[in-house]
Amino acid sequence: MYYKFSGFTQKLAGAWASEAYSPQGLKPVVSTEAPPIIFATPTKLTSSVTAYDYAGKNKVPELQKFFQKADGVPIHLKRGLPDQMLYRTTMALTVGGTIYCLIALYMASQPKNK
Amino acid sequence: MTHQTHAYHMVNPSPWPLTGAFSALLLTSGLVMWFHYNSFTILYIGLLTNMLTMYQWWRDIVREGTYQGHHTPIVQKGLRYGMILFIVSEIFFFAGFFWAFYHSSLVPTHDLGGCWPPTGITPLNPLEVPLLNTSVLLASGVSITWAHHSLMEGKRNSMNQALLITIILGVYFTALQTSEYLETSFSISDGIYGSTFFMATGFHGLHVIIGTSFLTVCLLRQFKFHFTSKHHFGFEAAAWYWHFVDVVWLFLYVSIYWWGS
Repeated sequence: MYYKFSGFTQKLAGAWASEAYSPQGLKPVVSTEAPPIIFATPTKLTSSVTAYDYAGKNKVPELQKFFQKADGVPIHLKRGLPDQMLYRTTMALTVGGTIYCLIALYMASQPKNK
Repeated sequence: MTHQTHAYHMVNPSPWPLTGAFSALLLTSGLVMWFHYNSFTILYIGLLTNMLTMYQWWRDIVREGTYQGHHTPIVQKGLRYGMILFIVSEIFFFAGFFWAFYHSSLVPTHDLGGCWPPTGITPLNPLEVPLLNTSVLLASGVSITWAHHSLMEGKRNSMNQALLITIILGVYFTALQTSEYLETSFSISDGIYGSTFFMATGFHGLHVIIGTSFLTVCLLRQFKFHFTSKHHFGFEAAAWYWHFVDVVWLFLYVSIYWWGS
């Protein structure tokens, strides 16, 4: 029995023996052979080109350190003031809106005065 | 010892399920107030609290997964099951509208003229804009697959371009469908034809907008380096949803636009 890894279910799934001829995980990401140089300018491999900076640099590692601080603050407030303000606004609108809604529904359920 | 000895995610207490539930109350009651008393206030508050809840809940999930590392393989498996089950529930949602369409169109009643399309209805030509819409969504399915493979192969520029193309095609579909809606000679209140047509295609259009928004969030996250070549479930979930939207359109096109004309 041959197996392959199913990216969909993240489990091993049955496969035919022919799969062994194109094994998963061994596909070359970048061609190791340089394409033939036609003009004087050298060809570039994707790996040798630095990503353009139009999107800014990768801030994920520092954000990971920031959000992993063991200060006991829950995730929805971890950033401090901006999180607090947004939370309070949301809660105020929710609670206020619900009270307003319940009053409106109470009034709507009263029989119309003839 | 405060460290957990298992790989599951014990979520911090969160207020968003509560605000989400109440926003649902406000949305439904708001619709009632709008329909019967011509008042928009509760509906607006409901929409606002709903948007705020979605933004903060999903922001927190990104923080928990990308920044805190809680999305271990087993947690990711749960997320996969969740997304699949959600899409299945949406399939059933659309099944209802297709049932209504086939119920009405396979045995058209006497007052429709005993035929489908009913007497007096001029349906849209399926070989014009609807066919273009089909090709737009099929092409977007190709571009999103290209984006996925680029992501898995670490080709950042390709991924950005392919995902952007997918989003542009999604927006293009929405624009085309909007112009088609303005062009129809029939409206939603034109008998059962109008009802089935606009309910089915209308909800589909809403799902295209939702899918496009999901993909846009993925694009922004991709710009911020959130996805790695091995771990990018948010993108996969968006891609699954997008393919689902595409398949629903194919069923809509074949059933309502083509067979139903």
